[in-house]
Amino acid sequence: MRELIRLLRLYRPYGLWMAGGVALGLATMLANFGLLALAGWFLASAAAVGLAGYAAQNAFNFFTPAAGVRFFATVRVLARYASRLVDHEATFREVAALRVFLFARLVPLAPLGLADRSGDLLGRLVADVERLSDFYPRVLLPMLVAAIASLVMALAFGAIAPAAGLALYLLLLLAGVAVPLVGLGAAAKPGRKIVALEAGLRADVVDTMQGMADLLTYGAAPAMAARIEGADAALIAGQRRMRSIAAIGAAASTLLANVAMAAMLLIGIPLLRAGLVSGPELSLFVLGALGAFEAVAPLSQALPLLAPIRESARRVFEIADRPAPVRDPAASPPRPGRLDLELRGIRLCYNAADKSERIWALNGLDLSIPQGTRMMLLGRSGAGKTSIANLLLRFAEYQEGSALLGGIELHDIRGDDVRSLFTVVSERTFLFHGTIRDNLLLARPGATDPMLWQALETAQLAAFVRAAPAGLDTPVGEAGARISGGEARRVALARAVLRDTPWLILDEPTEGLDPVTAAALRGALEAVTAGRTVLWITHRLEAISEADWVAVLEAGRVVESGVVGALRNSGSYLPRLLQLQQGLAHL
Amino acid sequence: MAQQPERRLRAEARPARGALLATIALGLLAGVVVIAEAVLLARIVDRAAFHGAGLHRLTPELALLGVLFLLRAGLSWAAEMTGFHASAAVRSALRRGLVSHLLRSGPIHAASEQSGDLAGTVMESVEVLDPYIARYLPQLALVALVPLAIFAAVFRLDWISGTVLLVSGPLIPFFMVLVGSQAEAVNRRQWRELLRMGAHFLDAVQGLTTLKLFGRARAEIALVGQIADAYRRTTMESLRIAFLTSAVLEFFSSLSIALVAVLFGTRLLHGRIDFYPAFLVLLLVPEFFLPLRNLAAHYHARLSALAAAGRIFEVLDATPPRRTGVLTAPEAPIALSCRGLSVAYAPGRPVLCGIDCDIPAGRMTALVGPSGAGKSTLAAALLGFVLPAQGRVMVNGTTPLDRIAPEEWWRRLAYVPQAPRLFSGTIASNLRLARPDADLPALRRAAAEAGALSFIEALPRGFDTELGEGGAGLSGGQVQRLALARAFLKDAPLLILDEATANLDLETEAELVAAIARLVAGRTAVVIAHRLATIEAAGQILVLEQGRVAEAGTHRALTAAGGVYAGMLGAAQGVALRAVALRGLACVS
Repeated sequence: MRELIRLLRLYRPYGLWMAGGVALGLATMLANFGLLALAGWFLASAAAVGLAGYAAQNAFNFFTPAAGVRFFATVRVLARYASRLVDHEATFREVAALRVFLFARLVPLAPLGLADRSGDLLGRLVADVERLSDFYPRVLLPMLVAAIASLVMALAFGAIAPAAGLALYLLLLLAGVAVPLVGLGAAAKPGRKIVALEAGLRADVVDTMQGMADLLTYGAAPAMAARIEGADAALIAGQRRMRSIAAIGAAASTLLANVAMAAMLLIGIPLLRAGLVSGPELSLFVLGALGAFEAVAPLSQALPLLAPIRESARRVFEIADRPAPVRDPAASPPRPGRLDLELRGIRLCYNAADKSERIWALNGLDLSIPQGTRMMLLGRSGAGKTSIANLLLRFAEYQEGSALLGGIELHDIRGDDVRSLFTVVSERTFLFHGTIRDNLLLARPGATDPMLWQALETAQLAAFVRAAPAGLDTPVGEAGARISGGEARRVALARAVLRDTPWLILDEPTEGLDPVTAAALRGALEAVTAGRTVLWITHRLEAISEADWVAVLEAGRVVESGVVGALRNSGSYLPRLLQLQQGLAHL
Repeated sequence: MAQQPERRLRAEARPARGALLATIALGLLAGVVVIAEAVLLARIVDRAAFHGAGLHRLTPELALLGVLFLLRAGLSWAAEMTGFHASAAVRSALRRGLVSHLLRSGPIHAASEQSGDLAGTVMESVEVLDPYIARYLPQLALVALVPLAIFAAVFRLDWISGTVLLVSGPLIPFFMVLVGSQAEAVNRRQWRELLRMGAHFLDAVQGLTTLKLFGRARAEIALVGQIADAYRRTTMESLRIAFLTSAVLEFFSSLSIALVAVLFGTRLLHGRIDFYPAFLVLLLVPEFFLPLRNLAAHYHARLSALAAAGRIFEVLDATPPRRTGVLTAPEAPIALSCRGLSVAYAPGRPVLCGIDCDIPAGRMTALVGPSGAGKSTLAAALLGFVLPAQGRVMVNGTTPLDRIAPEEWWRRLAYVPQAPRLFSGTIASNLRLARPDADLPALRRAAAEAGALSFIEALPRGFDTELGEGGAGLSGGQVQRLALARAFLKDAPLLILDEATANLDLETEAELVAAIARLVAGRTAVVIAHRLATIEAAGQILVLEQGRVAEAGTHRALTAAGGVYAGMLGAAQGVALRAVALRGLACVS
């Protein structure tokens, strides 16, 4: 329940739309009830008058009830059309609000707070939000309309014969509340299962699309196809159970509407014989009861939806509520003139919440990088190189020590402001599905074409782009899949040129490139890095001569550091690496 | 245009015809029960209100009414279940068809589509068909049958009311078609939008870190809102029209009920007709419109289903030319040769142009060249993932590759891509992809050969460690070693390997080079090689440049020739020399 209340709170700005939907839904239901009840009364009255003879015929007011019948008929049509438009408008606004809310919550979490299977994450964003979009129009709205309409209709019957009103109300409660609640209980477990089954099936499908080469060459494609088939069959079986529960609910609801008509006869006929109700009123009861049940009919479909909706809401809020790895201060101090970096006794761990089992990614790190230095950071994977980048970019929080950038403690600066000082060129740089131009403009939204070409020139990509038929408008494919790794890297480099920040973090910038390309790229890098402070993260030594300072990391702390020339004397790590490097030169 | 997916979709539903016919029969039977119910109800009300009948005299009618109520409830449940059965059969068949079609089209094709889009097609597009098949199609038959039965009953009772139904009934489908055809085009656009939104979200979520780095994440939040807003606007546009169809229906049904009531009222007033037929007709008139109302409720489902079906058939129709190979692959040793091999992904943009080369059996051939030279495409052609535009690949000089059944061919080779995919499941199940019946000692041996055993055994659950998507939780070097272990386990005569160099430290690289050397030994191997150590060990080096073989030969011969390879080597050695120079300095001092 808590999740749903929270969902509603999120929808509060659209309360007026929602209230409008309820009012119009109510108008539709009551008009429908009125139309049938009045028509039943009118026919029986007319028949009674017809039998009574000429005098009664003249005394009978034919026009008022006839006009009433036409009035209810018109209201029913107009109110239903308007209510459907308003409901949907409200729903879509809420879904947009939910998407924005969720995405806004994801932003501070990225990248370290979102260690999810990305296919599943997409599943949550689209499928769960899609499911949550049912909450208002298919659950909340019919419930409110049914609750109010039932009361009004029962009171109308009760005004004529209290017993008939009471019977109608009880049967409406039975059809609207008891039947769906039983269905809800039955649907709770299969509902949860379906959400999980869908997520599993989707993950398998994404695995198949992205790992197809491995599947095919290992002859595992039939097994994967069978696995998907099995997951599909399990999903269908789950759906069948859900459908059966819903169908039983709907059938029970129809049955109760019929029982209500029978009940009106069983109550009305003795009252009629006792002279407590008239013939036309009996006719009103029977047809009115038929109309009344339209208000509760949607409930048997609505309430079983609650279980999967609650499950989706739970999962969505679970992500939204994850604590951000880094807390931003309200405002940043003014940007200092010099941007020297001074790290002292830094300890950083990624699972800071778990105090018993802290694993320190950085463990007493000391490092200074004065402005204008080109610092090369060496070390095996897992030594803590990337953690330093995460620390500088405010992706991860340090628990101990001090990290001063231009004399200001890093955690006193807003993350966005810190990141505006840095550009990262790494082999993981993400290219968005779009054109080369789109991907460049990301770095500098207002850049003109000549600026883009200049940046491409510096990054040595201009010739490639010029040769492509669509030029700057060449699509890069999903996650840059249509252009090669080297070209993607150069797009990243061109973005760095456009962005023009005082600090550059080069995270293995030439990784995976052939040596000619890599050497050429290093030339481009030299042009881009000129005049900037550079942190060059690498586990290879090809570019060592381009650094003026080296620090070697091991187990989260600096074990060797110094000017390149000096380190060759005192170092133990660097000379050993230089030896290894020879056989492993990349070609 | 719109007719096309509908006709095909109905053809897809043909195997489920039995279940659909059962659904229709059950619906029709329910219609007959409804008429019988109305007759009984009208008789009871008439006799009680106008003939002074008490409950005890009406007991048989009331009891029969109860039976009919139960029957109707049972029929409605059964019709839902048979409808679901039909829909489930069709959806499962389509999903199976999509997956197997995509698998047949191969990885190159899948990479050219947005995988968010494809996953969306396999998941949502198929699901959207459910209401169309389970409810819309049976309703389409019922909408013709049930009103006809009710019309017949009403006409017999009162020809004036019958005439009202006769006039208003056929008007409804007419107006619905008129309004519906406009809704169709709008709805197509809306479905595209939904798929695009899925792809946009995947892109935005996967690129969230990059967006943050460029300070664009907040702007993206707004964009997410804007896209959702644009979606709302196009959807509402289509819904305004879709709802109009049901409003038209409501209008006619309400008008008819009102008209029938008022016409009866006048005649009853003058005693020209009895109460019984009047009341019975009033009970039946709403039922006359009910099937049409139900159909209108599913009309929007139909439009969504057709748009989704269009997307599904688009995927199914995008068939790359298929190999029809049926031959089994020759036994080991395997030698390959390419003759005039050209490959183009798009017409007029060849990636490989006229490759001639021989890949000898039992030795390693290294593919080298600048990025974009066509190394990966040549590997894809040897794997049979792409078909040549011209020329062919021959196996052992006699059998053209495209004459061999692809599964047969893949059985003879092990492929290690640069970014191998690990699947959700345990490490053991990932390794067993290569050999499903491999026992634990075999897994350990393969892992040991690949240099993966020590890290696997250091994990708390060892080989039973569950991996996330794409091997989440493992380092790049560990994923590589698992991929090599898979290849060791497969023990195939032909090895195609794309040497990964990204994100590996020198120590790891040294271990991988050693593992690759062990793997290559004694097999025919084609290695897209990046490391000097690997290349030097190759029996033959093919130097590719702009889709052609620029040079071929051994390391020694090519170095002496002073061509492209020597140039690449020079560039690499320039780096190495600088490194050596530094080391030299260290030695001197």
